[in-house]
Amino acid sequence: MKTQIKAKSLGLDHPSVKKVIGIAEEIMSQNKVLSIETLYNRAKKRLKFPKNGLLSIIQLLLDKKILIEGSKFSKGTILKNQCRKRLYNFIMNYPGVHFSILRKRVLCDDLGNVGSSGQLIWHLEMLLRFNSIKKTKVGNYTIFIPFDMDEEVGKQCFLIRDNINKKILNLLINQNSIKKSDVYKLINEKREIVYYRLKNLMEQELILPLKESDKEILINSAKRDSILEVLEKSKDK
Amino acid sequence: MTLNWNIEVIFDFAIAFAGLICTIITYLPPKTQKITSLNFIRLSIFGMFIFMFFDGLAFLFVNNFIARLTGLMLIPTTLCIIIGVNYTIRETYYSKGFVLVFGLSILFLFVSLQPNATIPSTESGYLRIEWVGLFNIFGILFTAIAVLYMFYWGIKTWLNAPILIKKEASLFFTGISITTILGLVFYFMYLFESFYILISNLLILIGVIIFMVAILKEPKLLYILPFTVHRILVKDREGAPLYDHDWVESNITETIFTGFLNAVQLMSQEVMDIGGLLDINLEEGILIMRESKFVTVGLVATKSSKLLRESVIKFTRDFEEKFERELKKSIKDTSQYKDAYDLIVKHFSNFPYKIVKSKKQPLLLTGKYVKIPLELETKLRSVFTDEEEYEAIKTELIKSPLSMPTEFINLYNDLKHEIDQLSGEDVKYLNSNQSNEE
Repeated sequence: MKTQIKAKSLGLDHPSVKKVIGIAEEIMSQNKVLSIETLYNRAKKRLKFPKNGLLSIIQLLLDKKILIEGSKFSKGTILKNQCRKRLYNFIMNYPGVHFSILRKRVLCDDLGNVGSSGQLIWHLEMLLRFNSIKKTKVGNYTIFIPFDMDEEVGKQCFLIRDNINKKILNLLINQNSIKKSDVYKLINEKREIVYYRLKNLMEQELILPLKESDKEILINSAKRDSILEVLEKSKDK
Repeated sequence: MTLNWNIEVIFDFAIAFAGLICTIITYLPPKTQKITSLNFIRLSIFGMFIFMFFDGLAFLFVNNFIARLTGLMLIPTTLCIIIGVNYTIRETYYSKGFVLVFGLSILFLFVSLQPNATIPSTESGYLRIEWVGLFNIFGILFTAIAVLYMFYWGIKTWLNAPILIKKEASLFFTGISITTILGLVFYFMYLFESFYILISNLLILIGVIIFMVAILKEPKLLYILPFTVHRILVKDREGAPLYDHDWVESNITETIFTGFLNAVQLMSQEVMDIGGLLDINLEEGILIMRESKFVTVGLVATKSSKLLRESVIKFTRDFEEKFERELKKSIKDTSQYKDAYDLIVKHFSNFPYKIVKSKKQPLLLTGKYVKIPLELETKLRSVFTDEEEYEAIKTELIKSPLSMPTEFINLYNDLKHEIDQLSGEDVKYLNSNQSNEE
């Protein structure tokens, strides 16, 4: 006996529709390419539905966006997702950005609702997996930089984005050495805030203690050029 | 009285019978029977039935008067197919072709009244009525025009047919091609050798049968329109999107499109009252906006059409009726309006769906229907508590490399751990870092 499908009562809860979805799931779980052709052929063979009825079901699944156009991701296609593209562009424009900043600045929809951390990390992982960006550690912080960027430059970008760090480095770049205890006075900032920065900058070897006296600090001459370059770029922004 | 039965009479009656069946078939199955273009095309097919029937009668009774009437039947047949195609393409009966054929019709009528327009003659061993002189030339001209218009309709239908019914559309086009182009070629050859009229008639018969089979398989072929509907969006009076449906792939988000509609609506408030309909010409299409008591409906298509405008009006009316309770309560949750798809089917079923362009195009199941291992599902559910977000990620998961879920969970744990471990000083530092981004 032929199975009858009445187009008017078709909905996602209809048993025939569920059976076709089941076959689509089966094709996907077998890692085979799901297409109208494969789905139609298998469903026709298995379910023996009349052709028009089966096509109506497939049309319903397409219309209701249960079946969507798409294939496996590639480096070229991952940026088709608007949110991911925004994230990628932000990292390109602000290399060395921290996760918490990305969450607040990028993962907002058009109405200003902040997305979840999970969603952000998913997109970050996708960009990492397809070598669009890379991550590195600066002290306690994981930062994200463009894939082609040197990690050292990426770290400097992160550090120099902080205004006080920038002031310290600007100060040191033109001087041979400065007493640690004088820095906060020279840049007119609170002592403890400046000491925290100096500790970070020393850990990252952007500044070094003077050999003769560890109370004095100077810029790391090996990194001087790249620091200068990042400082210049930060002025442009 | 002896009847002049011969093979051509039999063919004529067979084609006439097929034409009659064809007219009935085009009337019965289509859901949307009030399409003007289809009415005229149907009349044209009916005209062909009368033409062939009269042709058979003229030969059967060897009657010159009926033979002239047969020729004159080409006038309404040709005019109807021209009007049908004109309505399909631009929703008006008028075109230069129509004026030309209408003018020629008067001449054709005049010529048919002249003596010796038709004469009995014996060809290929049987008696028939031959059209001669100007009457014959006009007959050939009208036949050729009708055939070419019919072929044009066939090719337009075939080209615009959605992928799911492309096979039937190809069958439909094959039938029309055999009837029109091949039939016409042999009809021209008949001018040199009368035997070819039999082949022409045979091809017309075969073509009409194929055409009928295609229509029976897929009645939608009769009303496929040569333009594309891109998108319809329903928003409430406060500007929040309630329902969105695409016919073609779109990169514009629902929110942006709603914003666009809101802006257009704001600018056109003076001309658009409640119940009003507005057409806005875009560079490569048209935006039709319909405002009602609770909602505004915006539809983008490649060109405007009366049928489309009527569909928008009816869709809006039904949408308000169907979701009256939700609209009165100002519910903005789009999931509450998902059933509006039934209204899309009801009012826009004759607009082809073009997101999928080939039967071999890879497809994916959306997240809700993707089966993933239970352990992974539990982990993902703990990360994505929002159901919609979870489904969106699942949809991406199936397109991702196999190692993706594990790597994602690792990164998630690392970053979560990092945030938890940051000291007050670190957080202050990050906040300062962030303030420089703003």
